[in-house]
Amino acid sequence: MLAVVRRLLLFVAALFGMSLLVFAALRILPGDVASVMAGVNATPQRVEALREQLGLNRSIAEQYGSWLGGVLRGDFGTSLLTGRSISAQIGVRSQVTFPLIALGMLIALLIGIPAGCAGALATSRPARQSFRAISIIGGSIPALWGGLLLILLFGRGVGLIGILPSQGFPQQGWQNPLQAVMSLLLPAMTVGIIVAAGIMRYTRSALNEVMGSSFIDMGMACGMTRRQATLRIGLRIIAPQLVSVIGLTLAEMITGVVVVENLFALQGLGSMLITDVGNRDLLTVQSELFLLSAFFLTIGLVVDMLHQLIDPRLRAVKGGIQQ
Amino acid sequence: MNRRRSAIVLTSIWSTATGRFSLIVMSCWLLVALLSLVWTPYSLWATDGFHVWQSPSWSHPLGTDGSGADVLSWLMAGSATNLLIVLLAVILTAICGLLLVAAMLSSHLGLSQLAVVVIDALISLPTVLVALILAVPFGPSIMVIVVACSFGYSLNLARIVRPQAMLVARSAYVESALSNGASAGRVLMTHIVPNILPLLLVQLSMCAGTVILAESGLTYLGIGVPSSVASWGHSLATSVKFINVYPLAVIWPGLVVTVVVVALNLFGDALRDAVDPLENPRLRNPSPAPSEKTQEAADVRES
Repeated sequence: MLAVVRRLLLFVAALFGMSLLVFAALRILPGDVASVMAGVNATPQRVEALREQLGLNRSIAEQYGSWLGGVLRGDFGTSLLTGRSISAQIGVRSQVTFPLIALGMLIALLIGIPAGCAGALATSRPARQSFRAISIIGGSIPALWGGLLLILLFGRGVGLIGILPSQGFPQQGWQNPLQAVMSLLLPAMTVGIIVAAGIMRYTRSALNEVMGSSFIDMGMACGMTRRQATLRIGLRIIAPQLVSVIGLTLAEMITGVVVVENLFALQGLGSMLITDVGNRDLLTVQSELFLLSAFFLTIGLVVDMLHQLIDPRLRAVKGGIQQ
Repeated sequence: MNRRRSAIVLTSIWSTATGRFSLIVMSCWLLVALLSLVWTPYSLWATDGFHVWQSPSWSHPLGTDGSGADVLSWLMAGSATNLLIVLLAVILTAICGLLLVAAMLSSHLGLSQLAVVVIDALISLPTVLVALILAVPFGPSIMVIVVACSFGYSLNLARIVRPQAMLVARSAYVESALSNGASAGRVLMTHIVPNILPLLLVQLSMCAGTVILAESGLTYLGIGVPSSVASWGHSLATSVKFINVYPLAVIWPGLVVTVVVVALNLFGDALRDAVDPLENPRLRNPSPAPSEKTQEAADVRES
């Protein structure tokens, strides 16, 4: 219980730290935010007006306070370039990005875990070698290139078997679920395959390690086959570590997700962030960066909690006999 | 690791098929990178408005891009940039990772707790977010990639290396060194680092592969290497535009990146087997003193 409270406190502290960091990142610009946003050719009057609008004439602490206060109330302000509410924008964009992440992860798990088990259970040398080769090569493909190859294979118009749409997301969004999923399939496969390779590699090596242990011997002594013992006991034993690894992979997967959103012209959070950085819409960027960091810090927290929850060994050492 | 041990490790890596492949690829990379510093088939800035988006031909083996520049020349020049990025990122990761490990091992309870806690909290931040936080104020540059990658990987490195470093830190010889008045820094460099070196090297070679992948992604997004500098990510991003003109041109830059990253991963695996005295019999009795110590640590780990 104490550990949980400490982890929660830590989470809040990390959030606070991130808000400071993101805020500071946009204040250490050479010159000031207003002149950067206004561009090189802006008149001094325009810059001054922008300063007023952004509240840059107030003290740093005041600016930070009002921004953080807004964020805590769920009000991220409006974008100065488009005049639209940032929260609404993020809401719309999330409908692309989060399904994409979920679908990618689903594909990764559906491929990665069975393939990892098969790799660990394979007995012949050529089979083991080819599983190893697949996992290494799969994990070494840049997301951008993987996406291009998939477009060349399956993309409508250019591909050899042109059956899947490779550009954009349907206008109606999720009103037509089939079409929406179809348009996310190629991007999700791109990130999914790369992540699958990592999960496969980890599952295989963790299972291999467990297979030499007395847990498996015990299972086999009780009449299980090697395969049964590995799948029922081995997988259960590596489950907590697997959850941690999957959580961390999620963080690694995000660079791929942002790349893929740009490549497949999906209007998601990642492409929004990149566009806003390109447009120098700095206050929007500030809120977005903070929100995304908060999201990933939360993922880290959830993974840690889950790890505690499904690993009985961590509960057993509560007395203080730590490894 | 003395020179004789390094020689044994290298020949052991060379003796396996995958190890040989990785050494060959990495040497080619180094040679091309060095060559590109003095010579490329065409100058990077030799543009030619009459020959844009050319398919591969004898004069331009990989074709030309939208301003008529030679794709092969840019790819060659990119290998030097990537080599620099990888070296810087690996060095920075090693330094920050070791500092974190040292903090986690420190006898000062507050500091060691703090290090563990900070790693747990920050490890879930994606590289691309860190890169954006850096790229917004400083603009795209090589340093953005290096720092963003090192940030995440040094946390990972510290987390992975910690259990073994703890074992060494609790061993009798560290205790004896400390009671003889050795400083914490000395214990770290003479006892702990040599013992965790195999694990460290493997992780660093994996990290090198990931840095290359991150570079290609970040550069494509415009927050990595500036567009005026050649890099593999830059070549990949150019190849995206080829897809409608000459689809097969898409293959080359990606293939180079994939082959090099595969080689770095295989090198890591081969290195792990080669530097571990339990796996590699040739290491067991070359010079008794150092190998016995590693053997002992390995025995502790096994039991």
